[in-house]
Amino acid sequence: MDPPLVNESSFSAANPSSYSLAEIWPYPINGSGAAEVGLRMGNMGHGFGESSGHRDGSAEESTVTEQSGGGCGRKRRDLSSEDESSKIVSTTSSANDLNDSNGKRIKISGSKNENGGSKTEVEASSAAGSKPAESSKPSEPPKDYIHVRARRGQATDSHSLAERARREKISERMKILQDLVPGCNKVIGKALVLDEIINYIQSLQRQVEFLSMKLEAVNSRMSLTPTIEGFHPKDVGAQSFDATGMMFGAQTAREFAQGSQTEWLHMQVGGSFERAT
Amino acid sequence: MKLIQISPSNPSSLKSRFRRRFLRSLMKIKTVLPTSSSSPRRIFLQRSRRIKTAADKSLALAVGSSSKRAWSRAILWKIQYKAKAIRRHRPYSFRRICGSNNRPNIGNKRFNDKKKRKKKKRHDDEEEEIGEADQLRELVPGGEGMDLCSLLDETAHYLKCLIAQVQVMRSIDQFYSQSQSQSQSQSHLN
Repeated sequence: MDPPLVNESSFSAANPSSYSLAEIWPYPINGSGAAEVGLRMGNMGHGFGESSGHRDGSAEESTVTEQSGGGCGRKRRDLSSEDESSKIVSTTSSANDLNDSNGKRIKISGSKNENGGSKTEVEASSAAGSKPAESSKPSEPPKDYIHVRARRGQATDSHSLAERARREKISERMKILQDLVPGCNKVIGKALVLDEIINYIQSLQRQVEFLSMKLEAVNSRMSLTPTIEGFHPKDVGAQSFDATGMMFGAQTAREFAQGSQTEWLHMQVGGSFERAT
Repeated sequence: MKLIQISPSNPSSLKSRFRRRFLRSLMKIKTVLPTSSSSPRRIFLQRSRRIKTAADKSLALAVGSSSKRAWSRAILWKIQYKAKAIRRHRPYSFRRICGSNNRPNIGNKRFNDKKKRKKKKRHDDEEEEIGEADQLRELVPGGEGMDLCSLLDETAHYLKCLIAQVQVMRSIDQFYSQSQSQSQSQSHLN
């Protein structure tokens, strides 16, 4: 039962939010009794909710912990194998350091799944792999391998952890958006930033509308009044070359080379063809 | 990931793909003869709307070939839906659809607000953003009913593509007017 194994291999695979086991349980890893083990399992099962996974009960210790990490959804069911004593332990200890609702929920889940298979040995081993010293040291500051942002006063149940992860994701995306919108970096506050983004998108959409109108005007004029453009089909090629060279001079040559030139030529030829007819 | 693919590393690919598609559809639009019965202003509006639709469609298609995005799918679906509706009852539905597009349904919005107010109690720290998020949902195609996280993701991608669209359209417009002015000056000289 080495902490890095539990951290990396087990939970990052199961959790899309890439929270490792250690992140979720900011408590030191000590081997200890089976009652606390049950407790652990209860908490973890409650914490992870439904995700699919599988494990075999006969596996040896380290692999069991790993698999249990991968199949965290199963733990809810495995919880059922706990006997009354472990349930009691879980409620009391969770009343110690977690909030009451958490403990209650554990109790509920434990009683709900009473008809599940009994894999006590799995639980024992896996829980030994995880960190059971919760009740003894409820508010110990996290050690170096723990990356969770939970500070002393913050909740450590999985809902608030997930919420925190979500918020982090959102702020990360907000940063990306802020980089996209010009002049948005100075704005502070999510609501104001969102306002800026909305304004920018609206202006862009309006611009597209306006440009399509403009293009329509030019487009139709070119096709409907062929006499205004006084060039013949033979000098079309040269002219379009000039024009494209001028307008794409600032842009990269790579982009220009990627078929856009032929496209312009094609367009010119097509337009002139239409004009000629 | 997908975001990075488009803008900083190779900005040319999306733009050139969009340009190719858009120019092709512009050509098509040009060749379509206007319906004789309607007024010139209406023809103009209709055609510019068609160009905008073409621009949106080619943008969505240009994106869709590389990555599946909700907003591009939503654009394509909307265009398809509109086309179907127009085909079904031709004389009046076009205006009706565009009208509904211009001003969003008020009653529906109010309903949404109610829904969101319920949500507020749960995430009371985001209260002030919810109105903005709703606005954003209306702006980003396919953003309805999306959670904030993926909405922001979609918004970032959509924004990038929108910027590219505007740039390409502007360059095309510039090219058009340049060639036009050139030819005009030539004809004057002649």
